[in-house]
Amino acid sequence: MIALLIIAFIGIALFEIPDLIQRKRWRELLVFLVFLLFAFIVSLLQVLEIKLPNPVKGIEFLVKYLLSVVG
Amino acid sequence: MKLEGGKISSSHLTFLMIGFMIGSSLIFIPGQTAGHDAWLAILAGLAEGLVFAVIYTTLAMRFAGKTLVQFNDIVYGPYLGKAISIAYLWYFFHLASLVLRSFGDFFTAIIFPETPMIVFIVLTALICATAVRNGLEVITRCGLILVVTMSLAVLTTTILLFKDMKLTNFLPVFDIPLKDFIKASHSAATFPFGETVAFLMVICFLENVKFAKSSAIKALIITGLLLVMASVRSIGVLGVTAPIHTYPSFQAVRLINIGNILTRLEIIVVGNLLAMGFLKISVLYYGTVLGTAQLLKLRSYLPLVLPIGAMLVSFSILQFDSVIENIFFTFEIYPYYVIPFQIGLPLLSLIIAIVRGLPKD
Repeated sequence: MIALLIIAFIGIALFEIPDLIQRKRWRELLVFLVFLLFAFIVSLLQVLEIKLPNPVKGIEFLVKYLLSVVG
Repeated sequence: MKLEGGKISSSHLTFLMIGFMIGSSLIFIPGQTAGHDAWLAILAGLAEGLVFAVIYTTLAMRFAGKTLVQFNDIVYGPYLGKAISIAYLWYFFHLASLVLRSFGDFFTAIIFPETPMIVFIVLTALICATAVRNGLEVITRCGLILVVTMSLAVLTTTILLFKDMKLTNFLPVFDIPLKDFIKASHSAATFPFGETVAFLMVICFLENVKFAKSSAIKALIITGLLLVMASVRSIGVLGVTAPIHTYPSFQAVRLINIGNILTRLEIIVVGNLLAMGFLKISVLYYGTVLGTAQLLKLRSYLPLVLPIGAMLVSFSILQFDSVIENIFFTFEIYPYYVIPFQIGLPLLSLIIAIVRGLPKD
């Protein structure tokens, strides 16, 4: 599963990077790498079954709290 | 520098909006919590949704040629505007991952019980990524074909189920407390009608922005009628058991049996879900990617498509542990969670724009 994940992300990188370098779009390249790295770290942690904070739980808590305040 | 070169016509916009709103609501019936009065809740929700649509299109026509991210900067100033744009991008991203997750849940629960959910989510995300990379025009042209097919399918399945419907299932009409009814109709207004706020990223590419309002209203009314038809079909056939099923539409169409020859037509519902969900995810995905590119002042949105797609996949797996959590979130939390995005901020933007006389030329 980890190997599959790494292959997928390397595939994405190889698909986009050469074109960006050729056109000298450094800003786009930087943003692309930051986003891809973030996505990679998050999915790697998920594959390793490490519990990540779930924003949906936070939203649920917030909505329930606000509803109880309103009445 | 323009990020999107395509232009869409007003009738294409109508079709795309219908497909977008039908999206996942063909399997989760909006206003389902109202029981056998769901169809009334949808009609009331449609009325509320029309108000939203008028607000959105008025905004879009006032700031012609500018997307949500661009006019937030004008209305709220560069810093607060950026913060509000980030909140909206989060909402579009989250909604896209919700729809992806509904896809995964549906396929693993009903059709392919042995296959891991990630397979469906990754495949759907790949298809949508292709559509987004090809630009808005491709998505809208897909919409034209898919929506016509879908409407015919809904119509056909409803006609084939006429003989199984019991009109007594609708009685007594309006037999729920007013508070519950308002809650159900608000839920129907936010899902799916209010979700058209995502079109603030798309309407600016309309060839003639004057027709935005009429095409949006047309789309909302047609969608409302189709959803009423779908819910009448489910309630008429399933009766009081409709709310018990996780996917009432699917269950109702499964019962079609014309002389033991025309049976097992439920795959039509699956096909519709696939097509409409594709449109919905594509529009939201496109909105997220384009908005992020505009926020970061990039010259092209293409490099963002695949990284954001990877995030969509991982987030849609992360957010719920089971389909029950998804349904609870959709009907109990979602109607309140989206109030700032669908009503609060657009209305505030419109008021500020009118008071300050924006946009100044």
